[in-house]
Amino acid sequence: MGANFMRLPKNVFSYFVILLMAILVVGCSNSSSGNGENAEEVESEVTTVGPEDGAKMDMWLFVDLHQKFYSEMLNKWNEANPDKQIQIKFTVYPYADMHTKLTLAVQSGEGIPDLADVEIGQFPNYLDGEVPWLALNSYVEPYKADLVTSRLDAYEKDGNYYGVPTHVGATVMYYNTEILEKYGIDYTQIKTWDDFTAAGEKLKEASNGEVYMTSVDTGGADWLTLTMSEYGESWVEDPENANVKLDSLNNMLTMQQGWLESGIAEVTPGGQIDTEQGYATVAKGEVAAFPKAIWYMSRFTDYMPEMSGKFAIAPAPVFEEGQKRSNGAGGTGTVVYKDSENAELAAEFMAWAKLTEEGGEQIWNILGFDPVNTKVWTNQDITHNQENEYVKYFVNNPFDTLLEIQDEVNLIKTVPITTTINEVFNLTTLNEVLENGADVKQALEDAQAEVDFEQE
Amino acid sequence: MKKIQAFLFSQKIAPYVFILPFIVSLSFFWIYPMYSTINMSFHNIGNGYSEYIGLANYEKLLGDKVFHIAVRNSVIYTIFTLIILIPIPMLCAFLLNSKSVVGKRIYKSIIYLPALVSVVVAGILFRYMFSEMDSGLMNQILQFFGLESKQWLKNWGTGMFALLLLATWRWTGVNTLYFEAGLSSIDEVLYESAKVDGASAWQRFWHITLPLLKPTRIYVTTISIYAGLAMFLESFMIYGSNNSPKNIGLTIVGYLYRRGIEKNDLGYASAVGLVLLIVALSISMVYLLSSGMFKKEDK
Amino acid sequence: MSKNNTNPNNNSLSNSSLDIRKGNKGGKNPLVKTFINGFFIILCASVAVPFISGLFASFRPGQMLIRNGLNLNLDFENWSLVNYSYLFDGSTGYLDWYKNSLIITIVSVILTLIICYFVAYGFAMYHFKFKNLLFFLVIATMMVPFEILMLPLYKQMISFGLIDTYAGVILPGLVHASTIFFFRQYLSGIPKELLDAGRIDGSSEYGICVRIVMPISKPAFSAMAILSSMGAWNSMLWPLIVLRSAEKFTLPIGLNTLLTPYGNNYDVLVAGSIFSILPLFILYLIFNKYFVEGMTAGAVKG
Repeated sequence: MGANFMRLPKNVFSYFVILLMAILVVGCSNSSSGNGENAEEVESEVTTVGPEDGAKMDMWLFVDLHQKFYSEMLNKWNEANPDKQIQIKFTVYPYADMHTKLTLAVQSGEGIPDLADVEIGQFPNYLDGEVPWLALNSYVEPYKADLVTSRLDAYEKDGNYYGVPTHVGATVMYYNTEILEKYGIDYTQIKTWDDFTAAGEKLKEASNGEVYMTSVDTGGADWLTLTMSEYGESWVEDPENANVKLDSLNNMLTMQQGWLESGIAEVTPGGQIDTEQGYATVAKGEVAAFPKAIWYMSRFTDYMPEMSGKFAIAPAPVFEEGQKRSNGAGGTGTVVYKDSENAELAAEFMAWAKLTEEGGEQIWNILGFDPVNTKVWTNQDITHNQENEYVKYFVNNPFDTLLEIQDEVNLIKTVPITTTINEVFNLTTLNEVLENGADVKQALEDAQAEVDFEQE
Repeated sequence: MKKIQAFLFSQKIAPYVFILPFIVSLSFFWIYPMYSTINMSFHNIGNGYSEYIGLANYEKLLGDKVFHIAVRNSVIYTIFTLIILIPIPMLCAFLLNSKSVVGKRIYKSIIYLPALVSVVVAGILFRYMFSEMDSGLMNQILQFFGLESKQWLKNWGTGMFALLLLATWRWTGVNTLYFEAGLSSIDEVLYESAKVDGASAWQRFWHITLPLLKPTRIYVTTISIYAGLAMFLESFMIYGSNNSPKNIGLTIVGYLYRRGIEKNDLGYASAVGLVLLIVALSISMVYLLSSGMFKKEDK
Repeated sequence: MSKNNTNPNNNSLSNSSLDIRKGNKGGKNPLVKTFINGFFIILCASVAVPFISGLFASFRPGQMLIRNGLNLNLDFENWSLVNYSYLFDGSTGYLDWYKNSLIITIVSVILTLIICYFVAYGFAMYHFKFKNLLFFLVIATMMVPFEILMLPLYKQMISFGLIDTYAGVILPGLVHASTIFFFRQYLSGIPKELLDAGRIDGSSEYGICVRIVMPISKPAFSAMAILSSMGAWNSMLWPLIVLRSAEKFTLPIGLNTLLTPYGNNYDVLVAGSIFSILPLFILYLIFNKYFVEGMTAGAVKG
């Protein structure tokens, strides 16, 4: 039947060539796909840890490094709990893809993994309506006394905790001591934003405008949440009626505009400092200081090794003395699917892995985060371990600052409308104000209008 | 059994058998999802609940400023792609036909290449060509002319330029080929007699080529309208995500994706999708009807 | 009007036109020649620029791509083939992605071509009730952006149990409207007398299709083979939704996973991107002649 059709030799030849290529590729990939040994780049995306006869679970992640942490904790758990063995298959997806997949799974009610890391910004998406996650209150209870509760509240709804937090994410100030000393500025004397601005002026004079004191973000809200925490305000004080026309925001943005005008600061390349361009900016010594969460430390060690020994960590400046000096930024909450076969066991394990002192130690060591369990903070063996890469990297010990601001870490809650607020600010408002010099009050009014539209 | 076989093989029934796969596919993979989408657009949908709200989503769309931005971007993009990607390929096809051309096969092969590349790759290439760093290709060109580096992907104008350049790069070859195909169906005799009559190349082009290229033009325009209005991935890849500064790169489908997948707001996203569908269909229908597409019968 | 077109062996665009024109141009105008050729050379060079700069970037360390952007600098001191070695050393799933893409592309193209051809044959060769309405539906499906249907389709795949399977990826796209449209245009240029002759000879309807008409449709198949392959090889959105396991990812999805804001895998990304262009490249070079012919012979008739 097909004899006539295949008559032309060229057709056959070309498909043969492609077939050959396919065989070659398949052949190569079969021999190399089991080989992750020499991979110093990316780990294989799927890792299964734990004994075959353990309770089987699926977990989705969006950061490779987290998988290392969970694997470590899983091994410890299995060792300590021979009667509650667990085997977890970890799959790491890119950030956006993972959340997309999770959203789709939840929407369709099928294929939801037993465990998943959900980034704090995405968390409210899953809290709307019927929550698919297990309520974790009873699992968190044993450790609660030692935890920074604002972090638990971050993943809370109607009195139920749905996500196990990973870290406190306290915002601190990173100072490039090498630059500052060179131009005669003592960062320890900077207590208020006025001090900061004055230091910036001095820096600009002395360096002839070559070095900026800091950079301001057009693609991230960390500066904004920090200032709200300082004033004790929140744009989602009433989650149903968000209000972005706040004094704190007004003052911060006006101040930033002033910096840009007088050449003390530049707009962060890449939109915010946690991007490839941001790292380049820091590594080049282009900015002398910037506020960011503690977890930014691992960016230093990973992407800016040449800056070792140059940076110090200190509490952030405030507008008025007595204001809170920090804010919890970023975060990942681990969720447990409530209809999962081994939901309770999963919750028990996850709470233990992340909220105990032991877990906290690993969170610090492996991930470079400030753990939620504050007992770790006062454990000098852990915090001042000279072998720890972060202790080695920074001029002073990060926990010195953390302990200083321990009770000042506020948290601006992430609620459904937060996505819209972030979108409005990151896409429009910040660009208008910082790139185009728009009037701050007006820009905030415009932002409010857009937020209102969403909330009507 | 033989009777069934005779039935199925009869000239009357055979066509239905031939087109059966289409019917099946249509029902499963098109009619049902279409119905589902339309249905969803009248609801407010969240985790485990779906409440009927009538036309509320559509009313909201009317006042949605971000949606307006998306529509504006998509429409302007489409208009520009029509302006660029119809005349230029037509010209290319015509010139390629000319005898003066040396190495026609090579030219054609090369300008067709970009179409073979996936959007991911194309987007990456253009994203970094338009990098705001001084060493990015586009900025190097600017510097060559003594101009300052630009932050290409931060402003609407330059961003749109990047998108259009990407589109031009990608689709010129394809459209040229379509037009070439159309050109080849024009009888040489017409040109011959025109030359004998003393018509210049330009006149031949205007009075013979253009009109006879009409079916091709219609086809290319129609698919371009659709492709332009539904553009999403190109913008997504060039800006690195669905979130461009001030939404300069947001398209209608981009907004659909943002609402439906990123924000889990299915009802509203479905409404966006339907509006797009209606707009695209209307424009295409108007265009096709006005150019007499449906009047002709098969030859 | 169509004397050139039903003869599939007539490759060059219009052999006869060359004869006709040769005489008339009389002493080719060198200015015109320079202009036209120059135009194409510049055009081709511009088209090649992104490829070449991508190629250069694939020789450099991935970090440089982000820090410096893409350019044509001949900074040889930064060049090496090390990025390409990463593709093959198993550190990423690159080869798996490649293999998956190949499998999905080949299977879906072969199936699509056959099925769409049959459907188009039905539309082109027969008159039957609802024909126009149904064909209108074919066109209508081309007008609907896939994104509108994707979530309900996703739910359907789940209920069929096809999530995370190649079947789930391929099935919805098999009956492809524009391919049907193209084949139908092509087939409508084939004289119906051929069919009648076949019937007289005692062939069944299906026999006629396969034994008589298919063989002379080779150019159309070639053209659609390339277009379909392009679509399948580069398809990203739907496979992204359907596939769950990392080991099943196709090339576009896989490459996309390397696009993190931290840029720690841009080495593989750039080299992998360039390398992924190859199969279609080769396919195109081989099929080129037939492709042009196919497009020529039947893209848009009437």
